[in-house]
Amino acid sequence: MGFLRALHRARPLIRSNLSTSRVTCRWISSTPDRHNPEAAAAAAPAPTPEVRPRTPVGGARIEFANPEDAIEVFVDGYPVKIPKGMTVLQACEVAGIDIPRFCYHSRLSIAGNCRMCLVEVEKSPKPVASCAMPALPGMKIKTNTPVAKKAREGVMEFLLMNHPLDCPICDQGGECDLQDQSMAFGSDRGRFTEMKRSVVDKNLGPLVKTVMTRCIQCTRCVRFASEVAGVQDLGMLGRGSGEEIGTYVEKLMTSELSGNVIDICPVGALTSKPFAFKARNWELKGTESIDVTDAVGSNIRIDSRGAEVMRILPRLNEEINEEWISDKTRFFYDGLKRQRLNDPMIRDHNGRFKPVTWRDALAIVAEVAHQVKPDEIVGIAGQLSDAESMIALKDFLNRMGSNNVFCEGNGLSPQADLRSSFLLNSNIAGLENADLFLIVGSQPRVEAPMVNARIRKTVRATQAKVAYIGPPTDFNYDHEHIGTGPKTLLDIAEGRHPFCSVILSAKNPAIIVGAGLFGRKDKDAIAAAIETIAKFGRVNRPDWNGLNVLLLNAAQAAALDLGLASGPECIRSAKFVYLMGADDVNLDGLPTDAFVLYQGHHGDKGVYRANVIFPSAAFSEKEGTYENTEGCAQWTVPAVPTVGESRDDWKIIRALSEVAGVCLPYDSLEAVRARIGTVAPNLLNVEEREAPTISGELKPEFRQNLSMAPFGVAVDNFYMTDSITRASKIMSQCSSQLSKK
Amino acid sequence: MAWRGHLSRSVKELRFLYCQTSPASLPAREFVHRNYKDLKTLNPKLPILIRETSGVEPQLWARYDMGVERYVRLEGLTEPEINKALEELVKAGGIS
Repeated sequence: MGFLRALHRARPLIRSNLSTSRVTCRWISSTPDRHNPEAAAAAAPAPTPEVRPRTPVGGARIEFANPEDAIEVFVDGYPVKIPKGMTVLQACEVAGIDIPRFCYHSRLSIAGNCRMCLVEVEKSPKPVASCAMPALPGMKIKTNTPVAKKAREGVMEFLLMNHPLDCPICDQGGECDLQDQSMAFGSDRGRFTEMKRSVVDKNLGPLVKTVMTRCIQCTRCVRFASEVAGVQDLGMLGRGSGEEIGTYVEKLMTSELSGNVIDICPVGALTSKPFAFKARNWELKGTESIDVTDAVGSNIRIDSRGAEVMRILPRLNEEINEEWISDKTRFFYDGLKRQRLNDPMIRDHNGRFKPVTWRDALAIVAEVAHQVKPDEIVGIAGQLSDAESMIALKDFLNRMGSNNVFCEGNGLSPQADLRSSFLLNSNIAGLENADLFLIVGSQPRVEAPMVNARIRKTVRATQAKVAYIGPPTDFNYDHEHIGTGPKTLLDIAEGRHPFCSVILSAKNPAIIVGAGLFGRKDKDAIAAAIETIAKFGRVNRPDWNGLNVLLLNAAQAAALDLGLASGPECIRSAKFVYLMGADDVNLDGLPTDAFVLYQGHHGDKGVYRANVIFPSAAFSEKEGTYENTEGCAQWTVPAVPTVGESRDDWKIIRALSEVAGVCLPYDSLEAVRARIGTVAPNLLNVEEREAPTISGELKPEFRQNLSMAPFGVAVDNFYMTDSITRASKIMSQCSSQLSKK
Repeated sequence: MAWRGHLSRSVKELRFLYCQTSPASLPAREFVHRNYKDLKTLNPKLPILIRETSGVEPQLWARYDMGVERYVRLEGLTEPEINKALEELVKAGGIS
């Protein structure tokens, strides 16, 4: 009864409210002034412009290419100077105001179709879509007025009209733009009682899960696919309420960057298939780390829950991966918990592995190592090794009297002397300044998708030309296939090829040499031919170094920097082989009585031949320095604990050296890094590129004959290149469904 | 200069560390520019690692057999003195 009485008392109040807000049947907003913005704006006293320094959104800095092009606009009364050509939305960002948006993405073309970014501009009759409107001098932009608020609320209401209310079962929940913005700008109730539309889900392959009913048609994925990934698979079909994103005919999205549509989708329409229903984002611990699946060293965030890596996301690094990562980087993490080695093991006389203690395993290995002659000891670093473990391996073998240390993939007698001879000298971001690319024996799309994305970006932005020498392969930009082998190189070097005039007319030519050529016997002759072309085409000038080597795996650059410069020819006489995660090295020539020690985290190819196994930590479990193909050293950070009895690689080598009686003089990570500082101090300058100043011209001439065999393919299967990716179930699904055969 | 041809007999690895720009590293840079080609031609199998890092004081490291290493600071040395230091490092390996 008390309730009824209260209602009776409140009725006049409700009635008065209704009459003032001119809503007859239902309320849709809690703030009455939004229903009559014009009146409210007229009634409110003109706000005094508050001029206090504001910081741009995300700490962004603006560069003025030409100071005369600066214009001044006013955002909520605050004056900002911006370069001509910026949009209203960008001007607001410079003024420190984040405009809500769905379709706008700074790295994609402007669509202007979600209308969420509407703002009021003085003297404009209607609110304007700020993402598509260029800022004009003296423009007075108002982002916080009743008109702008009402516009956002209205857009939100239309978007939610057909959006399912399934946030509790949606994987985007907690990191959803629509969820966040409806909380911030939306109305607190809806007016629609009709049925919501439903859309058939599309099959985009094993990586991207689609729930197309959730789609708000922002077309970010369509623009990403056609602009960045370079596949014309996705498109918009239908009109009006029948509008949907799809592939028209059923087709998988066969791009090596397809996983990025998960990140750019503002709602839960495109989510990660392997991550579906696995975890909520607020349960995850993020660890900022480095990718090791290729030589690019993409910056990633490893999201883990407890001891398990749940997913991998990109981290912004304009110099390396911008904000994208390849599908291999994003989805290989399930390999981290399969096929793991967790105990030291010794193969018994039946050929079976038996778990033993570290003490026994180390004692046996140390004993065997002392029974062989020093130069019969060979150490091979694997493609996922960090700099710390490689210097420990090298020091250990040197102290045992052997010089046979190398890293797989670096080929016969690698050229480690001059850093410029094995690095991507113009830097990944610097490739954007090139106007001509000559790609020699490299398939950048599978070897380094992020470098390929950079080349594609350059080609799209500046119509840079691309010439390619190598076996037929897939490119997602215009290119000219000018040859398949060293013969074409020789023709260009001797000035007989039509490409010569092209390279001479280019302003900043870039030559990209694939590290797959390191495996050839005539690699020095190829390098000499390329250097001749570089000299002839003025590729190497004081202001531009366009002679680049694109490495294949994460350990290569650091291995060469640290002087792991022996060659695989020493395997033939080896009696003791120390495989430190080396699975892809060819052990065919190894004598049958040789003792093989495999130290690694995965039971992969190397284990089949091993006599003793030392379990070590994977990149997600240790602190390590990795140097990427442009010579930039970066650190991984442990995200999850190590598995079983496994230890960091360098610690195992340190322990073994003590048991073997040649104790290494360091026992902490700092001490190992101090040791690295006496070999390659550039590895200590993390996230810096130490540009080599001396060029290949210092190299003595090698007399070697070019073989005419055409260049081969370096990476067979993009999805499976190392021990972790080979253990990954998702990667095996990808290679069976997505690889083009 | 005969010792130059026998570098790889006693020395397993040579490392020049210096800065790309600093004046302290200038003689080391010049020495490498003038002598690298000669040294490498005479000792094609010997790794002569040239590691340029900003802010590093110039130093020359030699690694001998069994992982023994010695080094010389090159700061303040002139080019002939660097040559002398290298010769001493090479000869030190021959004796030990």
